[in-house]
Amino acid sequence: MPVETDVVDAGPATPQQMPAERPLLVASHVSRHFEGVRAVQDVSIDVLPGRITGLIGPNGAGKSTFLAVLAGTLPASSGTITFDGHDVTALPAFRRARRGMVRTFQLPSEFAQLTVLENLLAAAPHNRGDSLVGALLGRRYWRADEDRLVEQARVLLERFRMSAKESDYASSLSGGQKRLVEIMRALMLRPRLLLLDEPMSGVHPSIVGEIADYCEALRDEGLTILIVEHELHMIERMCDPVIVMAQGSVIGQGTMAALRQQREIVDAYLVG
Amino acid sequence: MTYYLTTVLVYAAVDILACLAISLQFGVSGIVNFSFIIFQAAGAYTAAVLSLPSDSANGGFQTYILGLNLSFPIPWIGATVVGALLAPPIGLVVLRRLRSDYQAIAMLVLSVIASLVVTNTPAFLDGAAGLSLVPQPLSDKFNPYSDGYLWAYTIGALVLAVIVFFIAQRVINSPYGRSLRAMRENEVAANALGKNAVALKMTVFIVGGAIAGLSGAILVGFITTWAPSTWLYPETLILFAAVIVGGRGNNYGAVLGALLVPVGFEEATRYLPPFGPPGLIPALEWVCIGGLILGFLWFRPRGVLPERRRVFPARPKALAAGEQHAGRD
Repeated sequence: MPVETDVVDAGPATPQQMPAERPLLVASHVSRHFEGVRAVQDVSIDVLPGRITGLIGPNGAGKSTFLAVLAGTLPASSGTITFDGHDVTALPAFRRARRGMVRTFQLPSEFAQLTVLENLLAAAPHNRGDSLVGALLGRRYWRADEDRLVEQARVLLERFRMSAKESDYASSLSGGQKRLVEIMRALMLRPRLLLLDEPMSGVHPSIVGEIADYCEALRDEGLTILIVEHELHMIERMCDPVIVMAQGSVIGQGTMAALRQQREIVDAYLVG
Repeated sequence: MTYYLTTVLVYAAVDILACLAISLQFGVSGIVNFSFIIFQAAGAYTAAVLSLPSDSANGGFQTYILGLNLSFPIPWIGATVVGALLAPPIGLVVLRRLRSDYQAIAMLVLSVIASLVVTNTPAFLDGAAGLSLVPQPLSDKFNPYSDGYLWAYTIGALVLAVIVFFIAQRVINSPYGRSLRAMRENEVAANALGKNAVALKMTVFIVGGAIAGLSGAILVGFITTWAPSTWLYPETLILFAAVIVGGRGNNYGAVLGALLVPVGFEEATRYLPPFGPPGLIPALEWVCIGGLILGFLWFRPRGVLPERRRVFPARPKALAAGEQHAGRD
C-alpha cells in the first residue's frame, strides 16, 4: 500500500486487511492543481474490495476534489489511477462509470424534472432504446429492455422504501430522499466501486442511520465503497479503514479508534 | 385568398418544423442553439443552388455556386443532409468544452458571422441581394401558379411536418430522450452515470440541423427567393419565444407555440391600423416578442403545454398486494 512518508499509519485495521488482498482501486501520487492552488497534493491510497473505506478531513482538505479526480469528473494534474488492474487515468468520467466506478455528489444532483423512477432508469445501461437509432426504431425495438429495467428499478425502490414516490418529480423530494435517489441511481449501473461524496450531509438524522444501514448491507453483498463524510460516528461504525486528509494530502489512515490516538490527526481534524 | 391561405399554412409548417427542432435541442436537451437560423438558411441555400440552373442562365443577373438544376426531391434531400452536416463542425467547436451559457453566446456570434460572410461574398450566394427565381418543386410538370399546385405544396409541407412530429415523439418518448433530459437537468451527473454527454448533444444537434435544413428547403421552394435579410439572428429568437410559450420539451407545445407566435402573432399584427412613424409597428412587434419571453419565463416558465410527467404502469402484482411502502417526509 503506498503510504506518504509523513503519514501517520495507525496500523492494520483488521486481520482481513492483509497485503495479499488486491486493491480494487489504486491512486498513486495523484495531484490536482487549480492554477497554482494545490487542492490535492501527491495523494496515494488503496481501496480494498468488499469494504467501506472512509475519507475524512476538515473542510477544504481536498476530499471532494480527490473523489472527483478518482471518478474522472476532474482530470488529475499528475499521478495515476488504477481500477481493477487497469489504468483509467486518461478515461473520461462516463467511461469510468461504465467500468463500474460510479460516484454521487456533495450537492444534490438529482435530475429535477424527471420522476424518481426515471432518475433510476436514466442511469441504467444496456437499453436498446438509449441511442438515436434505437429511439427511431420505435418502442417495439426497446420495450423488452425497458420493462426489464423498470422491474430492476422497482426492486431498488422497494428496498429503499421509496416505491410510493416513484412517480414524483425528484425536485419535490426532501434532502434525504434525494440522497437515496442518488444512491439508487448509482446502483442501477451495478457498480463495483461506489464513490459517495457526503451522502449524509443536509439529511434528516433519521435518514442518516438508514443510509449507513444501506451502505453496510451493500458492503455485505460485496460492493466496495469509498465514502467522504463528516458524520464521524457513522464513519466509525461503517468504515475500515479510514483515511484522513488535510490541506490536500493524506495525513493518516487506519481504524477510527486508532486514528483517535494520533495527536497530529486529532489536532488537525478530530477536535477541529 | 388561396394564395394567402396556402402561404400562411406553408409558413405554419415551416415554423412547426423549426420549433420541433428547437424543442428537441433546447427544450429536451438544454442546448441553447442561438445559431439555429443558419441551419435553416443552409438548407434553403442548398435547395436553391441545387435546383437553380447555372448562374449564367437568366442573363447572369445573380452569381452563386453550383447551379446544378437538379429535380425534386434531390434539392430537398440535399438541404436536409447539409443541415445535418453543418452540425458536427459547429458542435465540435461549441458543444465540447463550453458551458451552456457560453455555448449560447458562441452560437449567437456564429449566426452573425455567417450572415456577414454570405452578405460580403457575392460570388458565393449572391451576397446581400440573395437568390431569386428559385425553381419550385416539379414546376416543370405542373403550373406553380395554379390553385391545385399551391394546395398540393401546402399539403406536402404539412405532411412533412406531421412526419417530423412523429419522429420527434419517438425521440422524446424513448430511453434516448430520457438520457437527453437527464443531461439537460445535470450534465455532470449524467456523465458520472455513464452517459457520453458530448455524443448525446452532437446527435440531437445533427437531428435538429437536418430538420432545420428541410424547413429551409420547404420555405425557399415556396417563396422562391432567399437572402441574408430573411435569416438574421433575431429570427431565432422568435422561434425560441414560440417554444417557451408553447412548452419546452413537449412536441405539442412546440406546435402550439409555432401557431401562436411566428404565425398567429405576426398575422394578427398585420391587421393593425397604421399608426405612429414608419417602422413603429414592426419595432413594437419585437417589443411584444421580448415581453412574451420575459412574461412566460416569469409567470409560466414551463409554457402553455408543459413537458408531461412520465408515469409507468404499475405492476399487477403490486396492485394486487396493495403495495404499502410508506412515503418519507
